[in-house]
Amino acid sequence: MRRLLVLTAFVAAAVLGVAAPAAGSEVEIADLLADQGAYDQSEITVRGELIGDFGRRGDWVWVQVNGDSYADEPVLAGGPLTGGNLGIAARIPEGLFAEGGFGDAGGYRHRGAVVLLTGTWRFHDPDRTGESYLEVTAMQVVAPEQRLDEGPLWVPLGIGLGLLAGAWLFRRRSGKARRGGT
Amino acid sequence: MLIKPDSQDLRTISFYFGRVLQVVAGASLLPLAWALLGREWAPASSFVLMIGVLALLGCALACRRPERDRLDWSHGMVVAALTWLVVPIIGAIPLAFSGHYGDVLDAYFDAMSGLTTTGLALVQDLDHLASSLNFWRHFLHFLGGQGIILAALTLFAGGAGLTLYYGEAREEKILPSVQSTARFIWGVSLVHLVFGVAALGLVAFFSLGFTPVRSLFHGLMTFFAGFDTGGFSPQSTSLGYYHSPLYEAVTAVLMVAGAMSFGLHFALWRGPRRSALRNLESRTILATFTATLLVTFAGLAALGVYGSVLGLARQGVFHVVSAHTGTGFATVPGAELAAWGGLAFGGLTIAMALGGMASSTAGGVKSLRIGLTLKVVKDQIKEVLLPEHAVVSRAYYQSGRKRLTPGVAQAVLVVSLLYVALYLLGAGVGIAYGASLQEALFESVSAAANVGLSVGLTDPSMPVLLEVTYILQMWAGRLEFVAVFSLFGFLYSWWRGK
Repeated sequence: MRRLLVLTAFVAAAVLGVAAPAAGSEVEIADLLADQGAYDQSEITVRGELIGDFGRRGDWVWVQVNGDSYADEPVLAGGPLTGGNLGIAARIPEGLFAEGGFGDAGGYRHRGAVVLLTGTWRFHDPDRTGESYLEVTAMQVVAPEQRLDEGPLWVPLGIGLGLLAGAWLFRRRSGKARRGGT
Repeated sequence: MLIKPDSQDLRTISFYFGRVLQVVAGASLLPLAWALLGREWAPASSFVLMIGVLALLGCALACRRPERDRLDWSHGMVVAALTWLVVPIIGAIPLAFSGHYGDVLDAYFDAMSGLTTTGLALVQDLDHLASSLNFWRHFLHFLGGQGIILAALTLFAGGAGLTLYYGEAREEKILPSVQSTARFIWGVSLVHLVFGVAALGLVAFFSLGFTPVRSLFHGLMTFFAGFDTGGFSPQSTSLGYYHSPLYEAVTAVLMVAGAMSFGLHFALWRGPRRSALRNLESRTILATFTATLLVTFAGLAALGVYGSVLGLARQGVFHVVSAHTGTGFATVPGAELAAWGGLAFGGLTIAMALGGMASSTAGGVKSLRIGLTLKVVKDQIKEVLLPEHAVVSRAYYQSGRKRLTPGVAQAVLVVSLLYVALYLLGAGVGIAYGASLQEALFESVSAAANVGLSVGLTDPSMPVLLEVTYILQMWAGRLEFVAVFSLFGFLYSWWRGK
């Protein structure tokens, strides 16, 4: 049984893992944002959801990585509201990014892939006129993208249509009254 | 003796208020169409509800035409104040149903922030919000920045136009009639819309590597929030999301264009351009921008957080432009902004408090009032220093030579003082809840001057009283007090009048 578990873990790592993260202490994105300067030029590993857009710029892909609770439990999937998003920018080499085989970044009705990113944290990088970002050297997919559903809200829709009908009747009746009055 | 408003007063106010709601209902078809095109069924359902409420209320209130076609000054002010108070309540419906707000008050906060072009936000998990709801949030900036009432004026006005126009805190009529002025303002905005969205979209596509659809989406959202000096952003990291000096530069141009008075736009389009730059307002804003920029630069240099001059210049210029124009975009997280401290913090706070030009989409005290206040002080000093019988010329240049009468001086000083009082009120409430003076003042100025930069006090977990204070600050700051006082005066007369 134990062997089977180990084997399963290896297979999962082979399927999901693109490249094992290099040694680098794992840092919560919330902690990183609270004191960015403390991690400047350090090799760190962060865990988060790829969100927004994949900005393909030459040899690099820019993407935002969110390390908040919504990465694991999106609101649409029943996750609780825990405040604003917590995100940092990541710059991933095109080749490494391509290995991930990502479809879309996270957004409405779409939880993006959750990844472990290892790289160097560049705080106020003078070569990029003061921007802060993670320059990624290794990436591992922890959880694949997830499509979420949200259907119509029938009660608000019904009430809304009823109110519109009421407005139409009101307008018609007041128009008739005005014409009758003149 | 207070005169109690009669049924005709109420009918006049309700008629014009109803017409404005009908116009907003019509405008709200756009986010509904957006949601249907994107097959976003849940937001579409809540948009239908919102439009239904607006339409029914609008039709009910405007069903009986008043006997008097003209709006009194006080009627126009009351309609304006009511519009800016009630439209966010109804506009909050789709936000409240989205599941991204802790409670209804948070949704109302965001709707008020959107409409008043403030940009402070309590939305949670913004990065997963439906695009149609994002469009609605930004479209609120556009409606508010251009003026809902201005939109209504282009469709109907009659004798009502002028008081409604002034009620929305616009101070100069550019063309002979209010309707032609309204059309000019819409014309300027639409030209900026086309060129602004095209420029931002092209940068997003070619330089940032976004897909064509997403480039257009980001371009449109940034345009609404930039030109209307709003400050909402479709992503949680604001303008820092784009990591692009070029995108920031295009946005900065739009922010400056938004903070310019439409009178200055008119002069720049149709001339004489030189006289526009001679205006007291133009010279004042150039001086205050330079001063606050230098203070911020000095503060950032002293902090030593930017290793290069270019880095310091990029962050400093962008944030001062964002603060002075009342936009509120940031390229750094709130926690980092809070850590700026000292002179940089002071430079930004002063820039926010001063605000943009009169009759623009920006908030704050406004440059013309600052210029006139300084002129009054200068004249007073001159009077003291000159011989007793010397006459001090009290005139200034603003689209022609104008006399600085005691009435104008008094009005300017009163409104400026009211802004200071409003800033202090919010700061006091913030301090009462344990915030530092620096942070409480920063956030309060940001709310009252309709800016939107935040050091983190505006948060879904903030106390209700502080949230309500910021809502009232955004409302009063946007309407520049007169319409707000008129509404309270009207209600008081109704209650106690005879």
